[in-house]
Amino acid sequence: MSVFTIEAFLAILGLALLLVEAFVPQVSRRTIAAASIGGTALALVLFFTAASHAPDSLPSFCRPWMQLDQLALFYKGFFLVITLLVLWLTHECAPYLGKYTLEGRLTEMFSLPLIVCAGMMWMAAAQDLVTVFVALELVTVSFYVLVAFARKSSLALEAGVKYLILGALSTGVLVFGIAWIYGTTGSLSFQGIAAALAKPGIAKAPVLLGAAFLLAGLGFKVAAAPFQSWVPDVYQGAPIPVTTFLSVGSKAAGFVVLTRTVDALLVGHSVIGPEIKGLLLILGSLTVLLGSLPAIYQQSVKRLLGYSSISHAGYLLLALACDDSTRSGMTSSGIVAFYLATYLPMTVLGFVVLAILRLNGGGEDIRDFRGLAKRSPVLGLAMTIALASLAGLPLTAGFMGKLFVFVSLVDQAYWGALVCAAIGAAAGFYYYFRTILAIHSPETSPASEPLKLGTITKACTVVLTLAILVLGLYPKPLQQVLSKPAEVAAKSAH
Amino acid sequence: MITLNHYLIVSGILFSLGLAGVIARRNILIIYMCLEMMLSAANLALVAFSRFNVTQGLPDYTAQALVFFTITVAAAEVAVGLAIIVALYRTKQSVEVEAVTKLQG
Repeated sequence: MSVFTIEAFLAILGLALLLVEAFVPQVSRRTIAAASIGGTALALVLFFTAASHAPDSLPSFCRPWMQLDQLALFYKGFFLVITLLVLWLTHECAPYLGKYTLEGRLTEMFSLPLIVCAGMMWMAAAQDLVTVFVALELVTVSFYVLVAFARKSSLALEAGVKYLILGALSTGVLVFGIAWIYGTTGSLSFQGIAAALAKPGIAKAPVLLGAAFLLAGLGFKVAAAPFQSWVPDVYQGAPIPVTTFLSVGSKAAGFVVLTRTVDALLVGHSVIGPEIKGLLLILGSLTVLLGSLPAIYQQSVKRLLGYSSISHAGYLLLALACDDSTRSGMTSSGIVAFYLATYLPMTVLGFVVLAILRLNGGGEDIRDFRGLAKRSPVLGLAMTIALASLAGLPLTAGFMGKLFVFVSLVDQAYWGALVCAAIGAAAGFYYYFRTILAIHSPETSPASEPLKLGTITKACTVVLTLAILVLGLYPKPLQQVLSKPAEVAAKSAH
Repeated sequence: MITLNHYLIVSGILFSLGLAGVIARRNILIIYMCLEMMLSAANLALVAFSRFNVTQGLPDYTAQALVFFTITVAAAEVAVGLAIIVALYRTKQSVEVEAVTKLQG
């Protein structure tokens, strides 16, 4: 079993489950959920056994458009983990999700994430813009369906329409950008683009136009300014598992492509290097501010997590704008990957707690979190740690991620961006800690009975909480995994 | 003689018209049509660039291959998109943007 076949396995399993729904309607939801969760877990196990001898496992016909480097492998594992968590969360949420879907059916909620996962894994390895485009659209079109799937809820439908219009807009912008990049560099592969940009004779203005459109199109997927306005609305309207998937999976997929694109655009003495860096810094700073400042007034925790996801995208963009940091010993792509790895447990944990409250008849506002620590000490503690980590409190994973970004910004002396990032972080402390205070307040929300948790739910919560603490206290192992590609690149350069 | 620039100008005009329509129109179906127009503009630019990127007397076909992918993907996108818009019409009896303004902070 090679890494390459895992995506095919997931996509085929997803399609098969869709067909089962169509032709054998008597199969129960539980069976389909078990097949989908079991299949993803199997894929994850196979992935870890196959990942050790990955580079030679790629068949030669797909070498020109795919590459299994360390970064691709890291992101593939990342996508499998998040898909597994999302499928489990969907299964947990099934009792209330079924109320909003046609005839209470949920098959697509279990099969489409598998196809999305395959698309995201292809994106992680993609080496040219054609592969990127097709994989990206596979993910985006599946997400249109997932967001609008709870169609009896008018909010979900509205979120679906908004995501559809802005998603299609970003696709148009992306293809237009690809066209201009191709027109000026004469190539669609990242390698070819980088090679063409390193030549001195190339016309600057058209490349810059193409690059700006390309970055804008990808910026939509990662929720970067100026295309961030859909995020709070869509996050609030979509079902909780889909929101989780969007905010972690879709964002990470956007960032892996963005990392590769920016690497190609900035390589060596690229003619448009300074402009692209400036653009990333401005967009990053703007994204941090547009994410953190409106979040101060939010009453809905789901919306709050949406704004938080925007501001995290801002920090990631700032990390991309920096050169490799000598002080932390990590490449800028390594910092982005590390940040996303810390972002996964804290965001998922936030949504899991939200889903549990929702399942017990609660709402999604900050006042529904009042007295959570009393109703369930485990959940109260887990949510406190997740929010503290999202804010970037020392000893948590979120702190390490932010620390690397800030160190890189100081290294490069990007003071303006540093000030914006600091303002965003300070605002973050205010709005996350407002929710933490609500969790530990003595008075309780309208629903005040103690929350009962299933064993699996409790186990998942504990594992995610531990992941946050371990990454915050002992980030070295992950750092080493992610700094490998730099060593390999350095060796090949000598 | 029609040169690359002519194609690019037409493509630019199409793209701008589409974008203007997306921003200005209030009917979601028309907005969706404008989005397709933007995609066509991008396709036109791709084909033109491909046709005029000649090596050894032959155009470079990679971008034209991408155009086929774009058209196919756009078809899938339209299928899903129209389904969502129809679902919206069934619940709200309207496809104006005013029908989707409930989600606000």
